Amino acid sequence: MADIVDIAVNAEGFKTLVAAVQAANLVETLKSPGPFTVFAPNDDAFAKLPPGTIQTLVQNVPQLARILTFHVVPGKWMKADLERVNFLTSVEGSPIPIDTSDGFEVKNATVLAADIEADNGVIHVLDRVILMG
Amino acid sequence: MLSTLIWFPILGAIAIAFLPLRQPKLVALTVSGITLLWSLWVASQFDFTDSLQLQEYLPWLETLGLNYQLGVDGLSLPLLMLNGLLTWIAIYSSQEDVKRPRLFYSLILLVSGAVAGAFLAQNLLLFFLFYEVELVPFYLLISIWGGEKCNYAATKFLLYTALSGTLILVAFLGLVWLEGADSFAYKALMGQSLPQWLQIVLLSFILVGFGIKIPLMPLHTWLPDTYVAASTPVAILLGGVLAKLGAYGIFRFGLGLFPEAWATLAPGLATWATVSVLYGATIAIAQKDIKRMVAYSSIGHMGYILLGGAALTDLSLVGAVAQMVAHGLILAILFHLVGVIESKVGTRELDVLNGLMNPVRGLPLVSALLILGGMASAGIPGLVGFIAEFLVFQGSYSVFPVQTLLCVVGTGLTAVYFVILLNRTCFGKLDNAIAYFPKVEWRERVPALILAITIFFLGIQPTWLVRWSESTTHTMVSATLAQPTIAQAADSPLPASQTSLP
Amino acid sequence: MTTQTLPQTLIPPSTHEFADIIHRLEAGGSMLPDTPENLMQIIGIYKAYAVPMDFYWRGVSSISGRVFLNPLPAFKYFLPKEYLDLHNHYAGDDADLRIWRGEATAHPELLEFMEKGEVKQKLPKLFHHLWHDRINMEFAEACMRAMFWHRGMGGQFDPYLDSEEYKANADRAIRAYFRGNPAMLGLYQLFPDMFLEQVRELSYYANLGLFWEVMAPVFFEMSDLYDEGKLTTVPEAMNFLVNGIFAIAGRPIYHHVYIQGECYEIIPKSKGFMWLYEAALPYVEAVFYRTSPFRGTKSYNAQAKQVPTDQKEFHYGILYADVFPVGSAGIPPTLLMQDMLHFLPPYLLDYYKQHCRNEDDMLIQLGISFQRSMYNVTSAVIQALRTALLYPLDDTNPKHLLANRQFFETQLDRFKRPEARLRDIQRQDYR
Repeated sequence: MADIVDIAVNAEGFKTLVAAVQAANLVETLKSPGPFTVFAPNDDAFAKLPPGTIQTLVQNVPQLARILTFHVVPGKWMKADLERVNFLTSVEGSPIPIDTSDGFEVKNATVLAADIEADNGVIHVLDRVILMG
Repeated sequence: MLSTLIWFPILGAIAIAFLPLRQPKLVALTVSGITLLWSLWVASQFDFTDSLQLQEYLPWLETLGLNYQLGVDGLSLPLLMLNGLLTWIAIYSSQEDVKRPRLFYSLILLVSGAVAGAFLAQNLLLFFLFYEVELVPFYLLISIWGGEKCNYAATKFLLYTALSGTLILVAFLGLVWLEGADSFAYKALMGQSLPQWLQIVLLSFILVGFGIKIPLMPLHTWLPDTYVAASTPVAILLGGVLAKLGAYGIFRFGLGLFPEAWATLAPGLATWATVSVLYGATIAIAQKDIKRMVAYSSIGHMGYILLGGAALTDLSLVGAVAQMVAHGLILAILFHLVGVIESKVGTRELDVLNGLMNPVRGLPLVSALLILGGMASAGIPGLVGFIAEFLVFQGSYSVFPVQTLLCVVGTGLTAVYFVILLNRTCFGKLDNAIAYFPKVEWRERVPALILAITIFFLGIQPTWLVRWSESTTHTMVSATLAQPTIAQAADSPLPASQTSLP
Repeated sequence: MTTQTLPQTLIPPSTHEFADIIHRLEAGGSMLPDTPENLMQIIGIYKAYAVPMDFYWRGVSSISGRVFLNPLPAFKYFLPKEYLDLHNHYAGDDADLRIWRGEATAHPELLEFMEKGEVKQKLPKLFHHLWHDRINMEFAEACMRAMFWHRGMGGQFDPYLDSEEYKANADRAIRAYFRGNPAMLGLYQLFPDMFLEQVRELSYYANLGLFWEVMAPVFFEMSDLYDEGKLTTVPEAMNFLVNGIFAIAGRPIYHHVYIQGECYEIIPKSKGFMWLYEAALPYVEAVFYRTSPFRGTKSYNAQAKQVPTDQKEFHYGILYADVFPVGSAGIPPTLLMQDMLHFLPPYLLDYYKQHCRNEDDMLIQLGISFQRSMYNVTSAVIQALRTALLYPLDDTNPKHLLANRQFFETQLDRFKRPEARLRDIQRQDYR
């Protein structure tokens, strides 16, 4: 099996996310043993952000890293595990509400594909970039 | 040259009424302005050491004893200048769009001329004629251009003033017939030879007659209605000039003709003054309408004049004359400002008014001047009100200590109602729901600024206020020195003299 | 039009006191009614606000970065030329992200005013300053103080000011600044916390400068777009702001001090503090909502609970303020109104001349317009938060729409207070 980064690089529709992870120097972290749970917004999700948002973030690595680490949770949380919790604490520090009562929603994003397993964790694909607050 | 003060405004009035002049206000302003300058010129010719001067004499109906006799002395001169100034202010502060302007301005000028005539007349009957002449114009001014309930107020004013005139006429006729004089020419002390009870009776007629005009409690009931119903310029003339005519009459014809009887009645007069002062102030505190409050304040403040007259010392009498002028100025500025507030805010209710000090949406300068007017009225040092009241109290304390102290309490009460008025009206938070008043134009501020400067100037330079009347009042005081009931004021410049007694 | 009708059909209408406004927000509108008159007022005010703001951000940046702990900062409001020439990061050709198409240096109208002032005469700077014929930096400081006094309004910036790391950074800068000044260093030994607190305040200066550096070009661009006929409705103006908020949400918030040519990073960029979370939201909370009561116009009796015991409950900001006492002593917004008065666009001048007391009460008329414009900015913040944290307005899931509804209702609950001006700005004759 591949690690989280490899899966994202090889899958279709995660170009923006991969570019952002590279820009934020998080590749090595996400290649480390972890394990991590990554909520991965696809390209469409990034495209929903108003223009300029990504440009500013890419210019400012620490800030971009902060947004990205909000999508990462320590530990390997499968969908089945998430049904037992209401929220997780992200690497960034802020809580991420989880709602599995009716479908599978992470904060205000809906999970498009759950439980994509990697060597060092699991990926859930989101239809929206989630933001702190 | 004194005649000019009477006939120039009256001619102006006739011109405005009958000539097709396009701008009656401008003409009226010019006429009254020239009259004011003329009175200042008369003042510049005034000899401070002499009493009656610049006399004019023209035989008229000699069989009746009615002759055209004019003269000016220290009692009438300050009031003439006050009349000139307030007439100009009244015309200036009239609304641009006043209805029937030609009649309005001509009536005001007519009043001005008649009042000047009354101040100048040295013949009892001539005085009475002028005194009655201003009556009808005032009635019309109140009833045509007045506010709410103006017809009621005007009729009340007419009835009271007519009664006042009748009483005065009775006193004059009685005096001349009983004395057996050959004319109505005014001669000081002419009542002196009559038996004392007759003197007292005649004096009482004069006191009540002019007491209505001043007015003194309980003859005042026409005043609040009339002052409130009258428009701002008319209220300025009523309170500033007409009330002074009453005070002038009491001094000139009460004290001047019957000094002995006056001295006998003096303690009673002082008490009457005190009651008037306290009554006026107390009632003013209870008012909810700021114009009515100012009107009642007038009753209180006119009381000081009577107190000064009753005490009959050099100082108190000078103070009384000063108070006439001071009160005229202060009342004029207060009525003017209340008028501005009413026209801008649309109400005079204390419970509605608030926060007018607001620098942008309020009436800040008007509020500031209102505070100045209130301070002057309450007798704050540095302003003209203080000078007059202090002179009166200083002069009367040695004679009537109790009454004087009670009147001092009256000034305290004045401060109370003015603090209420100013606090509610000027301070606090402006109510946003109503705070869309039109702005105050500069021309509406000018009268108040002129009055404020005068009030301030005379407050720090009181010589200009009192020097006119010192000689005259001294003569009047000397006339009564023999009376044992009158104590000699310590600061009287001349020793007691018996020469003026008959 | 689908966005207009969808919410009403999928979920029942709101029963909130401000149901109309909530429905308007759900349809993508602003709290400010969409009328051409409102649009003209708010855009005109944005422009008039942006010019002094161009000075404010340069001023507070200079104070936080250069004046620093100067014990006698008599000339702190005199901007050095380098700060006037400083390039705004969001305007000009070399912008990080070009929001305004204009120049990156100080605005020409600002430069002209600084030179000639209200008296339209070129006099020594000191005369203009003492005559108060200048941009009122005191207002900028009042905003800073509001943020610094309330503190703790979300974000990581404020907690960081109390961390050991921050204290160590500040200590280094303080020692460097007072190197060779034994008197001040001695004082620092005696009262270290006092100096530290001063540095915290300066960090808020820096924060505010970075916030405003963004807002000035945003407002300039809106004014230009309006003049070109490209902004035609109030919701368009609001959406421009929403996009702007997102576009620069990731701008770093930091505090760098330059001492003898050397840069001391009191708050380094690497902390990851962001414009949206660490500057914009606290600013809106502190200045739009909370601030503190005006002095001088109304007596507040704290014993009678007329002032809330909890600082969080303070609601004296521009959204609640009574603009009418502006002009009285002790009311900081007066300074802002005065500053904006100098830069009103001609159409707004004409407009004010037609109402109320014309020129005489322009200060208040523009204050009310400012209030309207800030309700629009607040609407943009609310919509931006909704976009970031909740669901699109055209979402088809009723559960999501209800979540949006609940969010709007909670936001508008804050305007139920009697002193809130939300009701007033619905009327055109509130001026």
